[in-house]
Amino acid sequence: MNALLEFKNLRRYFEGEQGRYVMESAVLEPGTILVLKGPSGAGKSTLLKTLARLLQPQGGQVFLQGRDWLDYSSSEWRSNVQYVPQKPVVFSGSLEDNLRLPFCLKATQGKLSYEREQALHWLERLALPSSLLAQAAATLSGGEAARIALIRVMLLKPQILLLDEPTAYLDGENRLRAMELINEWVKTGAGRGVILISHNEEDLESLPEVAVLNIKARGEE
Amino acid sequence: MAHSGYIPISYWQLTLSVILVLITGLISALLGLGMIKSLLWGTLRAFIQLTLIGYILTYIFKLNTLLVIIPLVLLQCYIASREATRRITKAPHNPALASFFSLTASTFIVGIIVVVVIIGPHPWYQAQVLIPIFGMIMGNSMNAIALSLDRLYSEVHAHVEQVEQMLAFGASPWESIVEYLRKAVSSGMLPTINGLMIVGIVSLPGMMTGQILAGMSPALAVRYQFVVMVMIAAATAIGCLIIVGLSYKHMFTSDGALVDSMCKV
Repeated sequence: MNALLEFKNLRRYFEGEQGRYVMESAVLEPGTILVLKGPSGAGKSTLLKTLARLLQPQGGQVFLQGRDWLDYSSSEWRSNVQYVPQKPVVFSGSLEDNLRLPFCLKATQGKLSYEREQALHWLERLALPSSLLAQAAATLSGGEAARIALIRVMLLKPQILLLDEPTAYLDGENRLRAMELINEWVKTGAGRGVILISHNEEDLESLPEVAVLNIKARGEE
Repeated sequence: MAHSGYIPISYWQLTLSVILVLITGLISALLGLGMIKSLLWGTLRAFIQLTLIGYILTYIFKLNTLLVIIPLVLLQCYIASREATRRITKAPHNPALASFFSLTASTFIVGIIVVVVIIGPHPWYQAQVLIPIFGMIMGNSMNAIALSLDRLYSEVHAHVEQVEQMLAFGASPWESIVEYLRKAVSSGMLPTINGLMIVGIVSLPGMMTGQILAGMSPALAVRYQFVVMVMIAAATAIGCLIIVGLSYKHMFTSDGALVDSMCKV
């Protein structure tokens, strides 16, 4: 079976920290979750942002289903590999405006359309009332915004989700619901995968099987 | 010497204006502002600069040739563009060249329309018309460009997470910051739009005042002033549009991500 995503010696330095960088290799198989673990400041978020092509690497190779990532335009890549930062980002307007926003972009127009029914289904799965859709996004709590950010990228039907601590703002039950949904999402579609960062052991225990990549920052030799 | 309508200021009368400098100096001394030295130096510089430019302009008006006028305007554009970008500290690149281009383009596009199409002197490149008109456009465009650039970088720095999230959705660099580009352009244009609202009610602008002092009927002076106001509005709009259009790309890598100096790694 071909790897869904493979990165080899992907290297990126940390801004502001003299001579420190992250350099890792790993393989993400289809239908699986790869968890990035390591102490704070080890470069987990840097690695995730580099995989989202939001940071330029200083070396290494990345392949999506055997195809070099440089063969993809940046917007093509980001459409296939969706990234959610640790601090959920909401934009002005209602919550539904926020869910619709990515579908108004040139990269998605004519290719994807907003599926309201699907959004409502996932809202319910994450214990969010449908009435929330009309609410101003600025009034959302951190936990609500985190769940909305997850639903928003799943609606975009990517192949890979890069999730930076997706449960950081959630309490016990909601953590479990979110992890269940992530696990379900990765299993149900063909050729999907998730790379996520988590410091919470309970999160990982709720997943039946995961691959783990221990990240550590390196210094210049 | 005969003067048609305006009251000339003699050298003796000019010397009397020192009274005003003394008043300013007295306030500075009483409040301990420590500005007396700067005030004296500034007054002296202003006198020397204005006297020199008075003689230079008299000479250029007499020559009245594009071979002198164009290099002079370009030199002014260069100085103004450096001034416009001097205090911009958050730029990921040196914006001086983009500033020079936007300032020159806005000055020439609007200036030529005003001088050639609206005022229509003979010859069209009459230095007495062209230099003051171009100078007014430039001064206002310079401030607008500085405001626009500063706002653009401040907005993007303040909304890095939003910009990166938009890029992560697959947005182009333009799509990811279009909201901040709009704010930057409107920020540059705001003083001009405010000026349009209050002109004639709160303020009597310099050009109109100058023409009235020179003996022109106020009814005629306002026509010039109106042309000047709309010309400044057009020039600031063009200048701001060009500067943000040229500058925004420098915030992104060729791969469409924010450059390191703009984002939080």
